[in-house]
Amino acid sequence: MDLNYAPEDREFREKTRRWLEANTPKHELKTLDERKAWHRKLYEAGYVGMLWPRDYGGWGATPMQQAIVQDEMARVSAPPTINGLGIGFIGPTIIVHGTEAQKKRYLKKMLTAEEIWCQLYSEPNAGSDLASLKTRAEDQGDHFLVNGQKIWTSSGPIADWGILLCRTDPKVAKHRGISCVLLNMRQPGVEVRPLKQITGSSLFSEVFMTNARAEKSDLIGSLNQGWEIAQTTLGYERGANSLGRVTRHAIAFNQLVKATRELKRGGRPLIDDPAVRAKLGRVYADLEVQRYAALRVLSALQKSDSPGAASSITKLSYTEFEKRYYETALEILGPYGQLMVAREEFEEVDTSSGEPGTFATAFLWSRAGTIYSGSSEIQKNIIGERVLGLPKEVRADRLKA
Amino acid sequence: MDYSFTSDQQLLKNSARAFLDEHCKPAAVRLLWDDPRGESDTMWKEMAQLGWLGLSLPEAYGGSALGMVESAILLEELGRAAYPGPYWPTVLAAAAVEAAGTDAQKKRWLSAIATGDARATLAFLDADMDWDPAVMTTRAEKTSNGWALSGTKRFVPWAHVANVLLIPARAPEGPTVFLVDPAASGLKMSPVQGMDLATRWVHLDLDKVPVATDGLLGAPGGAAPLLTGLLRRGAVGAAAEMLGAARRCLDMAVGYAKVREQFGQPIGSFQAIRHKCSEMLLEVENSHSAVYYAAWALDAKSEDEALAASVAKAYVGDAARKVCGEAIQVHGGIGFTWEYDLHIYFKRAKALEPMYGDVDYHREQIVRYVAR
Repeated sequence: MDLNYAPEDREFREKTRRWLEANTPKHELKTLDERKAWHRKLYEAGYVGMLWPRDYGGWGATPMQQAIVQDEMARVSAPPTINGLGIGFIGPTIIVHGTEAQKKRYLKKMLTAEEIWCQLYSEPNAGSDLASLKTRAEDQGDHFLVNGQKIWTSSGPIADWGILLCRTDPKVAKHRGISCVLLNMRQPGVEVRPLKQITGSSLFSEVFMTNARAEKSDLIGSLNQGWEIAQTTLGYERGANSLGRVTRHAIAFNQLVKATRELKRGGRPLIDDPAVRAKLGRVYADLEVQRYAALRVLSALQKSDSPGAASSITKLSYTEFEKRYYETALEILGPYGQLMVAREEFEEVDTSSGEPGTFATAFLWSRAGTIYSGSSEIQKNIIGERVLGLPKEVRADRLKA
Repeated sequence: MDYSFTSDQQLLKNSARAFLDEHCKPAAVRLLWDDPRGESDTMWKEMAQLGWLGLSLPEAYGGSALGMVESAILLEELGRAAYPGPYWPTVLAAAAVEAAGTDAQKKRWLSAIATGDARATLAFLDADMDWDPAVMTTRAEKTSNGWALSGTKRFVPWAHVANVLLIPARAPEGPTVFLVDPAASGLKMSPVQGMDLATRWVHLDLDKVPVATDGLLGAPGGAAPLLTGLLRRGAVGAAAEMLGAARRCLDMAVGYAKVREQFGQPIGSFQAIRHKCSEMLLEVENSHSAVYYAAWALDAKSEDEALAASVAKAYVGDAARKVCGEAIQVHGGIGFTWEYDLHIYFKRAKALEPMYGDVDYHREQIVRYVAR
């Protein structure tokens, strides 16, 4: 056991810190073009696509180096990169399952954010039971004709391309009739409608496909192999991002402590109230343990490529933590915790959702983490079956299959 | 950055597991419940031979000079077995003698501890039950040939089998630690028994207990930093033991959920049980991260060692309570019986929860650290 950062990692951190100090935009990025320009700058400096192989335009860096970059970006509250789903997960899927022609056509422009990508998986009636999805793709010789509806699509309105799970064989068991294909979002058959969330903003969309066209040459893997592909790639990069995420929460904690010094109740600062101190102590212990867990995942990633089902423990841990954390913060802050627009400096936090805001914003966002990318209940099923080796449940849909 | 054990550390863990599986079975633990001493001298000698008693002592005294990570590995296994005996109090007391003792004191006690010929303990708690090492109501007065200690000490682990008691008391110069002979005049021991029959505590009443000048550990008045360090170490060690007990409870619950059938199926196939087990695993793994981070931080003298120790004790206190309790729930009725072994580990975790600073104490330490 040695939890010191290796000398080369410390050096890399110093270098990254200096680069960010010199290059981080001083003002908020408002337009898509500004965000693309910042993304491009990070890419050229070697801070985007870090885990991708060099052959595909990546930097062949280590998960630790990637974690350090995200950690340092969190420290200075640098604006996030864009195309996160593309770079974190769609690109790697194409690298593993795609043809040479697909790799050549799509990967580089994904990295540089010249083309923005979205994920077309969830449907109104296919959430945790994703395999029951109904969007149909009919074989038309050289292309598929796509009809159906997707939901919870991040970056929908700005996306140029999407990775689509669709039903190509309705006659077989549901897991065996799904294909994975790339869909051009810029066509008349694709309509994107922003979806307003409980935060009041619209970072997700609904996508309607009416006689949309997907090329046969854009099929990923073989026909009806889509479920398998989705299964093998869901956990591709989970873990390396948790350190930066924890750092954003640690910065928010400093804001919270600052607030407890400035806000008074019964004539004394909140920080002097033993009940508040007990809450702060509990939540900080929890936060530190999430940091240790993030370091532990990174240490494991250095030794093997994939954390496998254990990544479900990480995801479950930090998303459930985020709910406890911001619930406690709002308890401490009282009505100040409800404000959606910051008036005081201590009310502002980086919500790590891509949407800056207040503790109230972060609190609302914390409800999303335990639902997206496999809900907490799905993670617990995975942990129970694949880590603890508990017997599979008897499922009605599997009985029929 | 490497969070995994080295091959030597893994070897220590494996050999400890093998030894305790053989020599510290639940039946062996139960046999000692009614024993007045509550521990096995044979096992103590075997532990000495395995090098466990001198694990972190200097080689000059027969030790292996290993660190807190190794101690935590061993303590996790001891907790997993609900080992009954004065291992951790003795090792902590030895660390105190090693850190602050004179050559004569080290010669007298350290080799004897490493060879299994002596046991020791440390009396942290006074009658006011404050874990703050600076707060003590027990007094030390100067006499013509040394000191006289008066006051009360509460919940001193395994004092009834100790060959030497380390007793902190307030001298005119400030907090001071004394090496006290358990047979000294004016010292009254009253055993107290909690729910874990394999954990023994003793209340001490001191009425002008004489201590010769050579019983002074370190300079008079200078013991606060020593005690702070020992409490920190003690807390991490206790957290490691609780982690072991929690992992045992998890293993038992998962094992049971695979074989116990209701409604014609193993109960582990039901989400109500499976999700509970997954949450228990999450708490155990996070506890592992916390315990070994803190142990490493102590060894590395990392700048956050104090924070990490309090984080570990506070987090694992909550986690072990939850995991061991849920293990009973997964078992259902059988988990509530005396005959079934689960309560041995449930109670061990519970016994350690208030020791070396409880969850509330350590949360307050964390706030002092982060809001300085």
